[in-house]
Amino acid sequence: MKADQLGVPVSSKSIQGIVDRKAEIDLVFDATSAEDHFRHAKVFAELGMLAIDLTPARVGKMCVPAVNLEDCLATGNVNMVSCGGQASIPIAFAIAQANPKIDYIETVSSIASRSAGPATRINLDEYLDTTEEGIASFSRCEHAKAILNLNPAQPCVHMQTTILAGIKNPDVEKTRAAVATMVKKLQEYVPGYQMILAPMVENNRLAVMVRVEGRGDYLPTYAGNLDIINCAAIAMAEAYARKMGETGRKETR
Amino acid sequence: MMSRIELVRQDAEAVVANRTHLLSSLRNSHIFITGGTGFLGTWLLELLSVLNAKHNFNIQASVLSRSALQFAEKYKHLGSRPEFRFINGDIRYLTEVPRATNYIIHAAALTDRRLFASNPTLVGEVNAVGAMRLLRAADLLDDLKQIVLVSSGLVAGPQALNVERIDENYTSGIPCNTANAIYPESKRFAESMATSFVSESKLPLVIVRPFAFLGPYQSLELPWAITDFIRDSLAGRPIKIMGDGSTVRSLMYASDYAFWTLAALSRGTPREVYNIGSPEGIHLLALAKLITQHFSPLPEILTKVGQSGHDATRLVPNIAKAQRDLGVQVTVSLSDAIQNTITWHKTAASS
Amino acid sequence: MQTQQIIVTDPTLRDGSHACSHQITAEQIRRYATAAEAAKVDYVEVGHGNGLGASSLQVGFSLIPEREMLEIARSCLKTSGLSVHVMPGFATAKREIAQALEIGVDLFRVGSHCTEADLTQRHISYVRNAGKEAWGILMMIHMASKEMLLEESKKMQSYGAQGIVLMDSAGASFPQDVTEKIGLLTQRLDVPVGFHAHDNLGLSIANSLAALQAGARIVDGTARGFGAGAGNAPLELLIAVMQRQGYKFNADLYKVLDAAELASQLFAENLPNSNSVTIVSGLAGVFSGFAKPVQRAAKQLGVDPRDVFFELGRRKVVGGQEDLILEVASELARPKGQIHSPKP
Repeated sequence: MKADQLGVPVSSKSIQGIVDRKAEIDLVFDATSAEDHFRHAKVFAELGMLAIDLTPARVGKMCVPAVNLEDCLATGNVNMVSCGGQASIPIAFAIAQANPKIDYIETVSSIASRSAGPATRINLDEYLDTTEEGIASFSRCEHAKAILNLNPAQPCVHMQTTILAGIKNPDVEKTRAAVATMVKKLQEYVPGYQMILAPMVENNRLAVMVRVEGRGDYLPTYAGNLDIINCAAIAMAEAYARKMGETGRKETR
Repeated sequence: MMSRIELVRQDAEAVVANRTHLLSSLRNSHIFITGGTGFLGTWLLELLSVLNAKHNFNIQASVLSRSALQFAEKYKHLGSRPEFRFINGDIRYLTEVPRATNYIIHAAALTDRRLFASNPTLVGEVNAVGAMRLLRAADLLDDLKQIVLVSSGLVAGPQALNVERIDENYTSGIPCNTANAIYPESKRFAESMATSFVSESKLPLVIVRPFAFLGPYQSLELPWAITDFIRDSLAGRPIKIMGDGSTVRSLMYASDYAFWTLAALSRGTPREVYNIGSPEGIHLLALAKLITQHFSPLPEILTKVGQSGHDATRLVPNIAKAQRDLGVQVTVSLSDAIQNTITWHKTAASS
Repeated sequence: MQTQQIIVTDPTLRDGSHACSHQITAEQIRRYATAAEAAKVDYVEVGHGNGLGASSLQVGFSLIPEREMLEIARSCLKTSGLSVHVMPGFATAKREIAQALEIGVDLFRVGSHCTEADLTQRHISYVRNAGKEAWGILMMIHMASKEMLLEESKKMQSYGAQGIVLMDSAGASFPQDVTEKIGLLTQRLDVPVGFHAHDNLGLSIANSLAALQAGARIVDGTARGFGAGAGNAPLELLIAVMQRQGYKFNADLYKVLDAAELASQLFAENLPNSNSVTIVSGLAGVFSGFAKPVQRAAKQLGVDPRDVFFELGRRKVVGGQEDLILEVASELARPKGQIHSPKP
């Protein structure tokens, strides 16, 4: 209804609405469900549209713009992992850059209860699986774990993510530098992303904490978890648009 | 002689005086009012004006209605206040409420009984879909402290004649085989929807169930007993009562209604329901007499002008819960309420 | 004489995990589970303090793998059932619950923070579909009104939970609260209702008794109170009080007393006691399991652990948010206005 009021064409025909307008569409954000995306992905591929998948389907390459935006431009379907993945993977990647070997890595996110709707809640296990897979592959660490907490406090809390790593003799100074660079890179497309605890070692674990404050354009500011994955998807889309501008429309496929 | 504006202002100041502590959590907040230009909405704005002007409440209010801008033009003493913002819009297409909103009073609804007959589908749509849209939009707010959903005393279904007053748990079921049922049914749906939002999203929400009211700003075109009686008396026509006058209603004055609504907003326990109205039942015949005594010559009162089968009904709330939990009282007696209302109507609109 | 049979659940080997920073040994499990079996408690709960899949840097790694813990306990239990605690967000159905089912766990107590029952739908359904018993657990119940607890319990009941247990995870409740909350649930739910106490304010037995008097049919107790914070309602005291009050239950008083004596030896170094940190934890209404990590972080960063607890309470943290301890302690350690840069 909001989109309609802004003059954006809307359709109630699901995927058919995209097919009907295929000539006008170069890129699709799919925010349906994993189950639906498995079906949709084939359609988008046939139509030659770039699919930016915001479900946990993981049909395409996992995309975290601060880390692998360029690599993703070459494919036709990218997966945006999860909100916790977008917040933690860049940090995990930075930690991996600064330390030769990570034995174990973990990401713990706390989000406001009110930012987690019924679909998020019912798909909690998929969120954990997807996030674990993402953080493991980007940090090149086999042993990864994701934890999610919902906090009902009022006023609502901002999304907060802690990255914990088990590393023998971590290089804290080098890690700090790598993490600081990464945070800056993220802030280019997620303005509300900030580090609240610089890398430190406590109880034999390396810890880094970040907070994501939503922009409050339409979703509330406490919904940083929804904002970060949307921001990442938009960053991907913009990069794709820039590339098309340079190389000509759909020429890459 | 006082002007209409001064008369209302006097009532608003009286109901607020010495009771501002019951509204203290509303200080420095932003209140969004849907249907803010109706009878209740206008009175809410009158009270908010007094709270700001005399008690430094520093409340901002945004008012949504289909005719908000026209209202602001017509009632300049409210429309020109800088702390009030008027937004024209249809509640059925609402997608967002102002982000700064801390409190919401959802009073937008079609309540005109004539519409229940002529356009019941619209009544159902506005009351049910409107509530749903408002609740969805409210769910996007950052710092929402309370919503008051203005429901209706009619959601309980018809009151049994042998029950003196109905409390919030009373229910007799709403028959749904007439178009007239759309009003209570749509309000009941709005309540169910609200309860679902409370369960699913933990929205802080209280429900108020208003009964019957009178006072300035109430349109005399509405075909209710009280408005009929006043309108006919003002026009020097006889008052007509369908049955024998044994139907029982109770009436609360507008300033109390608005104050109680604000108290529910400020102090209501989320997920609770509060009746708002007068607990003093009165037969329509006695009510007619209370009204006619303000006129001379005394208007005639005709009873049993309807079919012989016209059944007496009764609608009187038990308000003990609101009195206990919200700390509110009825401050204006029925006779004063009638006096004030008639004086206001007799005062020229321009003065 | 009370007529209803009371179900006694013993999470010594699960809640006690918090008391020893999750260092319960295979030997301790074997010996205590054997004693609990002999004492005829209805269920013995085993695992990491935060339940299945919670062994982590966030909360602390368990000394031995989950599979091993459950297998050892399974081998010791015949008449007593084997129970596990499950928190969605830590444990997933297809991984941890599936493994526990395979090992032969009898009862899954699927819990969430007291306002978040809808997180448990998948996990409760999964257990029920596998033909096992599932209960719903609402934690940190001092943070919700009785009406909200009823609504959340009803959600769990609708998902298939066959019992609902209210956990006073912060030990912050008073008998009057317990009477009201348990009382409302026992009146309005179809399934049996239970209570799990913590002793932070010294009220674990009083609260458990209030729950029983309000109609609870399930009660949790741990040997010598071996559990998070100031510990739980000591099982041996609970059984003694219940016996004197005429409640019916399967457990054998003497054998429960023996199990408590055994626990005194087995867990001698980590038996919980009331101290300034556990008292403040109760007052602040913070998850009892935070006691050890708060003390550790406060020590490293040179701040008063009591300040950390009150700040965590102000932020209304929930069980599972252990990472915030580090943030809060760091913030308290930082002089006002200084850019944040802790010593590594």
